[in-house]
Parts: sequence; structure tokens; C-alpha cells
Amino acid sequence: MTEYSVEARGLTKYFEGFTAVDHVDLEVPAGSIYGVLGPNGAGKTTTLRMMLGIVDPDAGMSRLLGGHKPQSVRHRVGYLPEERGLYPGMKAREAIAFMGALRGLDWGEGRRRAALFMTELGLERVIDEKIRKMSKGMAQMVQLIGSIIHAPDLIVLDEPFSGLDPVNQERLEMLVRRERERGATILFSTHVMAHAERLCDRIAIIARSARRFEGTVDQARALLPMQVRYTPRDAGGDVAASLPPDAERRGDDWHFAIQDDGVEPLLARITASGHGVAGLSITRPGLHDAFVHIVRQVDAGFAADARADAIEESAA
Amino acid sequence: MSSLLRNIVVVARRDFLAIVATPTFLLFLLAPLFMIAMGAIGGVGASQLADSARGAGRIVILAAPADIDALRAADARLREALPGGKAATLELRVATANDDPVAVAQEKGSDTYAVMSGPLAAPRIVEREKGSRSGAWLALLATDVLRTRAAGDVAPAAPRFESLKHGGTSIAAQQSIGFGAIFVIFLLTLLLAGQSVGMLAEEKGNKVIEILAAAVPLESVFLGKLLGLLGVAILFIAFWMAMAVGGGLVAMTQVDPAALAEAGAAAANTKASAALLAVEPATGWPFFIGIGFAYFIMAFLLLGAIFLGVGAQAGTVREIQMLSLPITILQVAMFSLCSAAASAPGSTLATVAQIIPFSSPLAMAARAATDDARGVHLLALGWQAIWVALVIILSVRLFRAGVLSGRSNWKFWKRSGGVPEAAPRRTTAIDRL
Repeated sequence: MTEYSVEARGLTKYFEGFTAVDHVDLEVPAGSIYGVLGPNGAGKTTTLRMMLGIVDPDAGMSRLLGGHKPQSVRHRVGYLPEERGLYPGMKAREAIAFMGALRGLDWGEGRRRAALFMTELGLERVIDEKIRKMSKGMAQMVQLIGSIIHAPDLIVLDEPFSGLDPVNQERLEMLVRRERERGATILFSTHVMAHAERLCDRIAIIARSARRFEGTVDQARALLPMQVRYTPRDAGGDVAASLPPDAERRGDDWHFAIQDDGVEPLLARITASGHGVAGLSITRPGLHDAFVHIVRQVDAGFAADARADAIEESAA
Repeated sequence: MSSLLRNIVVVARRDFLAIVATPTFLLFLLAPLFMIAMGAIGGVGASQLADSARGAGRIVILAAPADIDALRAADARLREALPGGKAATLELRVATANDDPVAVAQEKGSDTYAVMSGPLAAPRIVEREKGSRSGAWLALLATDVLRTRAAGDVAPAAPRFESLKHGGTSIAAQQSIGFGAIFVIFLLTLLLAGQSVGMLAEEKGNKVIEILAAAVPLESVFLGKLLGLLGVAILFIAFWMAMAVGGGLVAMTQVDPAALAEAGAAAANTKASAALLAVEPATGWPFFIGIGFAYFIMAFLLLGAIFLGVGAQAGTVREIQMLSLPITILQVAMFSLCSAAASAPGSTLATVAQIIPFSSPLAMAARAATDDARGVHLLALGWQAIWVALVIILSVRLFRAGVLSGRSNWKFWKRSGGVPEAAPRRTTAIDRL
């Protein structure tokens, strides 16, 4: 087994002249939890579909689980589509066993595991209930179980957290961690950063059809300078003089950003200034801020392009 | 290969159970009962009408008392040997002085086709229609009575009847069997295969298609759905065959055993049942029924695949209904072609009908009735199977290209595509202008 569970290169898809996905690369290390982040409509779902071979890419290629074509390792892959769908007339246990059977699992074994999973996730009351009688969140949990019932080596979840209440979100996170411990690689897309921050070993950020960032969560957060919140003990006098020029006062606190190598000089200056320290925190911005930062940069780039286009057009 | 088969079975099983385990299926299964009931009601009505008409129809002879017995005897003797429809009931009346045949012919309460009066040698025949058979019949009776009187009693001929035991079935009968096979297969496929047109609409509606497309090759989804429906069709046919056989058995137990034995003996004597069974297709009944069933499956799969493929392209129920009409017309066209071919076995037309893949199952079933070659059926089944595969592969290609890639106007797959993104991009460009 090679070290990557997913190797996709240059995935590209055009929809009626518009480039929905533009040369997206994805490399997911085996045994990791990987997040594909991006705003709504960025091309995440299409990327995942191409990666899994559901939709044929217009350019690029995708290899799964050690260099195999997606179609040849279907039984080792689990997939929860963004558009949730189950046969409403089927009972939960049967629906899960059916999804397992599609992936090569024995029906009887599927039924047995379905009951186990559902009990574990607090759904034991509805094991033999028809899907149409369930709430949306319950049906989604059933479908989620269905997509991992055959113990796949690669689990791909498209927006798995959307539509779940906090309790079920927690259960899903637990499930994802446990599947990883079992040895599976998990790749999921989301636009909620909290889950990605807690779960992901690595992330890719897709915005405006292209991959804009790839790396660990910490690397993403390192794109922004650290944020300082400083509360002087003695607010009198010219506190701002000892702080960087962009420092901003909010109530008693001063807020400003510093570079990684600026921590010690800052401490020295604060100590020397004699205003005292009632409170001081130096933190990395969260993934949320890093994400917004990256997406805004991309959007600004597009706006600039558009401006350039407009100038060209008016000149012509 | 085995995994492909497995996938097909999984999909087929789901579809079969989903169709069968619903109350609607019961309605579907019993639908022919309504047809039979309507047919029975219509039949009873028609036969009552015919009965009442038959009871009322008559021919009348106003004869001298001396002639009455002779006329009645002549009528009884000749009536039996008459081929085709029997003459209307004969009513004999003793002639009186003031008889008016026209008045008799116009008496109310019954249809009087002809009235004969006057002496037998020169009777006056009043008939409702000029040159009718009833009038001729009355003249024949008069002539017969006269001839018997002139010649005296002649002993009737004492013929010894012999029937051909193994004369073979006539070509006309075999062609009728062939046509019957065409009609039965056509009717069953028309009733059952058309259902596949909406089968993928369900998956599109409830979004399960993406799960299926991700998990198994679409070819197995299509073929699995088709086989699931075939299972339903076979269940349907088996149910009605069982009903027919069961009905026959019940009818037999209702009949008095003695009467049954008597009837059996009578049948053995007259060889009536043997004559009935002697009508057999050129390839023999067991082979013919077996191959007919195989051709039904092929016709079902071929048409079902077309319906399924076309239905998969449709986005709405209305589109599905619109699209199914051209296919039904194609089906009827193939039926007409095969019917024409069945009446001319061995002709170019028949060969063409046997080669065109969509008419081939029907035409070959008809051929099994008239031609005793058996090997050619294996060839035909293979040829048709190739076309089933081709239609399915083509349907899947179209489905992938049109529906799955988001080029169609189907919103589910398109949503992930460009529209939400294209819009803001355009507006920013416009804003800057």
C-alpha cells in the first residue's frame, strides 16, 4: 500500500463553458482525516464526484487506495453524497444492508451490523422503522451508517455535519475518529470550520473552482499573524507609544497583530513601559479566520481581474 | 463478472421487493380480473341478445295436412347434413282457405324469414330478402318431399367414416398458432415492459441514484432494474397461469365424476380430443412453449431497455408520458410487421422481421410454429441478447453524458455545477463597468 489513499491530479470540469473545477489536486495520506473546505458552490462536490469516478473529469485523473482506478475499488470505498437520498419505503435496517450489499457486503451481515451501529448511535428505536417515518436528521444518520457499513478503507463524506443537531454532530465526530482508529482514511467536505479544526490532520481549501491552500490546520492558521490582547494595569499615560502602530483600543484592552518573531521584543517593551500587565494573551487566529482570509484574498483577486477586464473593455 | 452479476442481483432484488410488497401491486396483479369481468358481462349480454334473436327467427310453411309429416321428416333429415349455419326453426301450419302468406310473414313477435304456401309442386314463397337462404331451404324441402314420393323410400347410404390419424397439422393451423404466439407476446410486453419507463424517475426523485452510481457500475443498475421488473412480470404471468390451471381443476371437481368418465369415454370414442391435440406447431408443443417463453423474455428485455433508457433521460413525469408514446408506436409497428410476416412464412418479409432485433422475438416465435428447425432459435436468442446489451450500454452512455455530467436541465446534478458560481462572477464584472 502506498502512503496515499487518494491521488487526484489536475481534476477539471467544465459546465456549459464555465469552469466548475479547475485543475484541483488532492493527496490524502493513508490513515488520515482530511478536510476539503470551501464556500458554497466552490466546486467541492464536483471534485469529490470526479475523484470517486461518479462523474468523468474533462481533464485530470484520480487514483484511489494505492494507484487503483476509482471504479475498480468500489467495494473498499464508502461515500455519503451531499444530496441525501434513501428509498422512503425501506426499513432502516434493510436500507443499510442494501447499501452494504451494493458495496459487496453480505445481506445478513449487513443487517446484523446495521442493528449494532444504530444501537450505538442511539437509534435503536427506529431500527425497523421505515425511512419515510423518520426525521431528516435520523435518515441522514441511517445513510451515514449505510455508507460505512462495509468497513471501507476510504470514507468520503460530503457535508456530513449539515442538518445534524449538536448531539448527532458529536456522535459523528466520534464515529469518524473511531473509523480512523480502525485504519480507514476519512475525507470530508464542509464549510463549518469548527469540525475541520477539531478533526482534520490536513485540509485543502477550494475557492472559486481551484485549490487555494493545502496543508495542516496549523499551517493554515500560520498564514495569519498572531493576535495579541493586552490589558495594562495602569491605563493612564501613553500606552500606545510602547505598542505597534496598528494597535486598537477596545475598552481597557488593546488589540494588535504581531509576527512570530515579535513576541519577545513585545514582552520586553511592555515590561519596560511600566504600565503593568493585568492581562495578556497571544493566540493564533482560528481556522475560521484563516479560511475567511484565504477566500477573501481569492475574491479580491477576482474583483481585480474583473476591474482589469472592465478597463480593457472600456479602452477597446 | 461474478461481481457484476452480484450487483445486478442486489439491484434487481431491491426493485422486485419494492414493487411486489405494495398494495398497488395487488391492484396491478388483479387488473386482468376487471378485464375478464368486463368481457364476461359483454359476452353474456351478447349471447343473450343472440339467443333471443335466434328463438324469434322462423320460417313458416302453410301446408296441406297430408304434406305436414313428410315436410317435417325432410327438414329433420336434411338439417343435420347442412354445413355452416343451420336454417331458422321451421314452423308447420295446416293451410286454411283464407291464408295470406304476407300477413303471416308480418306477424308480430318473431322474425319470419320466409313463408311457403300453395301446392308443393308450385309453391308460393314470400321471403323477407330476395334470394335468401331461407327461401331456398323451403324450396329444397318441397323438392325433397316430391322426390321421396316419386321414388319411394330409399334406404340411406351407410357410410363408414375414417379419419386421418397422422395427417399432420395444416399450414393454416400452424400459422394461426404462430400468430397467436405473436399476439400473446406482444400483449404481455405491451402491458408489462412499459412500466420500466418510470423506473429511474424514482431514483432521480429521491436522490438514491448517486448512491447507486457511486457504488456499482450503472450498467448493472440498469440491467438489475430490468431484471427486477422481469421478475415482477413472470410473477404476474405465473399467477394467472396458476389461476387458470386452478380454475380448470376446480371446474373438473365440480363436474359429476360419472359424467366426467362418460365424457372421457365419449371423447375416446369420437377421437375429438385427439383431433384437438393433433394441431401442433412444427417444433412440437414443449419446445414451442419453452422457446416462446424465451422469446417473451427477450422481447421484454429489449423493449424494457428502450423504455428504461428513454425514461432515464426524462426529467419530469410529463416527459416520461410523452416519451413513452413513440416507443409504444414502435412496438405496434413491430407487431404489425410480425403479423404480416407470420402469414407469409419463408418470405423476404418474414426474414426481415426475424433479423430486425426489435421484431425478432415475435417473428421467431411465429417461425417456431411453422418451421421445425431448432438450431436457428439459439442463433436468434444470441442475436437478441447482443441487442439487449447494446441498448443498455447506449442508455448508460446517454445517461452518463446527459444526466450525470450536468449538461441537462436536471437541477440535482447541476446544482453542484456552475450556476451558483457563474452568477456572482458575472455581476462583479458588470459592477465594475
